[in-house]
Amino acid sequence: MKKSLLGALLALTLGGVVSVLVSSNTLLSLLTQAIIYAVFALGVGVLLKQNGMVSFGHALFFGGASYLIGVLLQMQRIPAEWVIVLALLTITLAAFLIGLVIVRVPGVAFGMLTLAIGQMFFLTASRARGLTGGADGMNIEWPSHLFGVSMSQMLKPASMFLTCWTTLVVVMLLLAWLMSTRFGSLTEAVRDNEERARFIGIRTLLPRAAVYALSALVTGVAGVLSALNTGFVSPESLHWSLSGVALMMVVVGGFKALWGPAAGAVVYFLFKEILGEHATHWMTIFGITLIAVIVFSPTGVAGLFERWVLGKKPSVKVGGH
Amino acid sequence: MLTINLFNGLVYGALLIVMCSGLALIYGLRRVVNFAHGSLYMMGAYIGYSISLQSNFWVALVAAPAVMAVFGVLLDRYGFRLLQDRDPLTVVLVTFGLLLVIEDSVQTYWGKSNLSVPVPEALAFSVDLLGTPVPAYRLSVIVIGAAVALGLSLWLRYSKVGLFVRAASTDPVTTSMQGVNTDFLSAGVVGLGTALAGLAGVVAAPFLSLSPSMSADVIIDSFVVVVIGGLGSLAGAFIAALVLGMVQAIGAVYLPDAAVLLPFVFMIAILIWKPSGFAGSRT
Repeated sequence: MKKSLLGALLALTLGGVVSVLVSSNTLLSLLTQAIIYAVFALGVGVLLKQNGMVSFGHALFFGGASYLIGVLLQMQRIPAEWVIVLALLTITLAAFLIGLVIVRVPGVAFGMLTLAIGQMFFLTASRARGLTGGADGMNIEWPSHLFGVSMSQMLKPASMFLTCWTTLVVVMLLLAWLMSTRFGSLTEAVRDNEERARFIGIRTLLPRAAVYALSALVTGVAGVLSALNTGFVSPESLHWSLSGVALMMVVVGGFKALWGPAAGAVVYFLFKEILGEHATHWMTIFGITLIAVIVFSPTGVAGLFERWVLGKKPSVKVGGH
Repeated sequence: MLTINLFNGLVYGALLIVMCSGLALIYGLRRVVNFAHGSLYMMGAYIGYSISLQSNFWVALVAAPAVMAVFGVLLDRYGFRLLQDRDPLTVVLVTFGLLLVIEDSVQTYWGKSNLSVPVPEALAFSVDLLGTPVPAYRLSVIVIGAAVALGLSLWLRYSKVGLFVRAASTDPVTTSMQGVNTDFLSAGVVGLGTALAGLAGVVAAPFLSLSPSMSADVIIDSFVVVVIGGLGSLAGAFIAALVLGMVQAIGAVYLPDAAVLLPFVFMIAILIWKPSGFAGSRT
């Protein structure tokens, strides 16, 4: 735990340094976007890491959080700070209830279920012009001040970057702490052998639904950051292809390590921005990389790093039986 | 008005039958939920387009599925076969990566704008169906769908290879112990499955234009069909495809908002209560 705290402090300092030194606003915005996606991927990764389940529908929580904020702010009854809290709470609760029903479904069927649920909400949002602005999306009307900081100050690229980076570090720290508690070991036991876990007296439904809700919460946080960053949300934020992109980041980065999904997000953005400059078919190369990673290094970039640089032994389990 | 809607529903249902039988076959033999199936459909359509530019539609109708069959055999030999001992989710993720590669490659090679394939002159007329004129080409799509359904059912039921396929879908290990070369068989069936996806693409091209979003448009519906019908069950897929086609066509006119959601509600219900679908695991 002390190591994690130290690491977190270092990361925060690094973030501060970057935000001061990097003067290019484009670069800062790009990094901010990458960080938001990293938080999104982190949510998907938590589900894969602790539950061994693959979700194709997490964009629901990402876009859902943004939409909730947009709708609640539109009503102009509740202060914005509480809107954020309320949106995240709603997402977590909804995910827990959904999770109670769907985590019982095994294997690929679970993935397809998440796909179907996600698409349902995508279609609903695309059509509910009155509430959500339909396929055009909706603007999110933030007030002039948030948590005491003025909006114009917060929206500056450097401060936006710092906000998102701090959120990422704090979320990772909290997750690392949570996974080191009994809850973490319990869910890992359930992931590896559900039947045996039940034999030793663990009730498997609640922990797994809780992890699902937790992963939804993390993804929702990414949605909040995105709502802050762009001030806009559209049904694309709910589409399964977005969930797919997040899943790709998790797989390429590696889900065994907590920082894997974040690494995957970085790789994705590197491909997109740097490779994308020179090759229009960067997605093909990314797809091939994805396949290569799955086949040759199922623990992803993070796993490779841990094996080559830190000399750890590999241990693989997707799904877990 | 109702006739033309029912008719269009049948047409889309027939298209789904051709596509989803491929998906069901691949699942049955290799236990792989092929996320790339929609992109294979797209690939078939675009290849068919290029071939029909060089010669004509009828050549494309035969050649494009043939090309896709070769692709499918290679996919099985160097993809699914090598990954068969891995966790099923791993293979699903690989098909997802394949989806990205195919979609992007198609876009790079053929461009992002919509392309159109003209209806072949032999079928560019109207037929009178119960008082409503319908395009003959669309009628032929229904015929093709019915032919595929009938052909596959008969082949599986009455031929020796069909028996091997059914056996390998049920228990690959025991089947190979009985002397059936399951690797060869799987390559063939996966090739057939991809060829069917390609055929659906070529057939769809004249009445649905070619666009980069083709694969995404159709993959979700395919999954809905295969899940509702029962993963691996062909008969279930046929029925579910027709039902879905009708629901969408009729619902689009009378109950647009509910109709789009209904297939998903159904799919979710089935996945929760009976993950093996309506027809179960019987072929």
